[in-house]
Amino acid sequence: MWITLLTAVAESALEQLLNKEPALAVQLAATQHKTLAVTLTDLELCCALHYVGEQQGKARCFVYGNYQDQADCHITTTLSTLQELSDPSQLTRLIREEKLDLEGDLQLAQSYSKAFAGLNIDWAEHLSNHLGDAPAQLLVAQCERAKQRGASHLGILKRTVTQLCQDELNVAVHPLEVRQFKTHTRQLAQQLAALEQRINALSEL
Amino acid sequence: MVADVFHSVAAKYDVMNDLMSFGIHRLWKRQTIACSGVRQGHKVLDLAGGTGDLTAKFSELVGESGQVILGDINDSMLRVGRDKLRDLGRVGNIEYVQMNAEALPFPDNSLDVITIAFGLRNVTDKDKALRSMYRVLKPGGRLLVLEFSKTDNEALSKLYDFYSFNILPTMGKLVANDSESYRYLAESIRMHPDQETLKSMMEEAGFEQASYQNLTGGIVALHRGFKF
Repeated sequence: MWITLLTAVAESALEQLLNKEPALAVQLAATQHKTLAVTLTDLELCCALHYVGEQQGKARCFVYGNYQDQADCHITTTLSTLQELSDPSQLTRLIREEKLDLEGDLQLAQSYSKAFAGLNIDWAEHLSNHLGDAPAQLLVAQCERAKQRGASHLGILKRTVTQLCQDELNVAVHPLEVRQFKTHTRQLAQQLAALEQRINALSEL
Repeated sequence: MVADVFHSVAAKYDVMNDLMSFGIHRLWKRQTIACSGVRQGHKVLDLAGGTGDLTAKFSELVGESGQVILGDINDSMLRVGRDKLRDLGRVGNIEYVQMNAEALPFPDNSLDVITIAFGLRNVTDKDKALRSMYRVLKPGGRLLVLEFSKTDNEALSKLYDFYSFNILPTMGKLVANDSESYRYLAESIRMHPDQETLKSMMEEAGFEQASYQNLTGGIVALHRGFKF
């Protein structure tokens, strides 16, 4: 039921987005009444997105969890590869590298990828309806700065961890050496056991 | 008696559904839609559709070229459903038909999908109703039965029994001014066949690949069967 709840939240968020960004709805017009299913092998989860177009003046879509039916386009991949799909030009490369399996209409996947990649949400504009122009602008500017700082810190953290790993690799014992050490230890333990037996036998005489 | 129950609760049906299930009935219905495979151009029957929750979603999925029939034996429920859907602007591809599930008024092989959500337990002759549904489905069509069922979890079962026989009728009295109807609801749930029995009944009616999935620990089960 958690998946159903999550898909309900995702559906609601996506509909909000579709109605606030009419350009997205226009770009998805070609995908109307078609289903895109994505199976994430690492999560053992199949979700599907079905855009039905405008209903009573509002863009509507369905997001399904644990989808089991035939889809117009079915992508099977991992969560990390899915992030690379934000660039539509990467699709064919990912298929060639067998990081992604695609069944059905390739253009449908490209349409979704292109529509979401080209999305440029004007958060300040949307927030200004609730907060007013100046606070919305200020909030968005602060968020942008925080995002940039976060990205910068993340970059530094990544470099530090990479460096640490590389340094560790230089001084760390190679797995083959560990295996050899284990073999020697076992042999030594066997020799000791044999010696102990001989001493016991001699002391009994 | 069943007819009187639904005449009595029709006006407050949606409010009571949300209250009684803490809104979880919406998730159960979402799962039904996800498993329905309904596509553009399909002809769908939402049997015992009540106030039309599923019909509203199906009408979007089938589009202008499709058709959804909201069927219910109770005219009060049908009227509430029709008014609600019209208020939501859902017109054009929805028809409202008062019908008996045991003798569906459709030609053989004429529907793509049939759903019956929280309705089968109120049908007198369930086997006859299932056979009737099988008859009107097209080859490749499917039936989805969303219904209260039996939970295996003993602790949950005790809690559920206490809730059904003590809290539910009180809620009914307070909100809909009708405790008897909600007492009937609790009793009818206990009388309804369990998951395996209903699955066998569907198979006996002719459905293939019959299966079910428990929702909320088996309090509700979604059964699915195909006609090939």
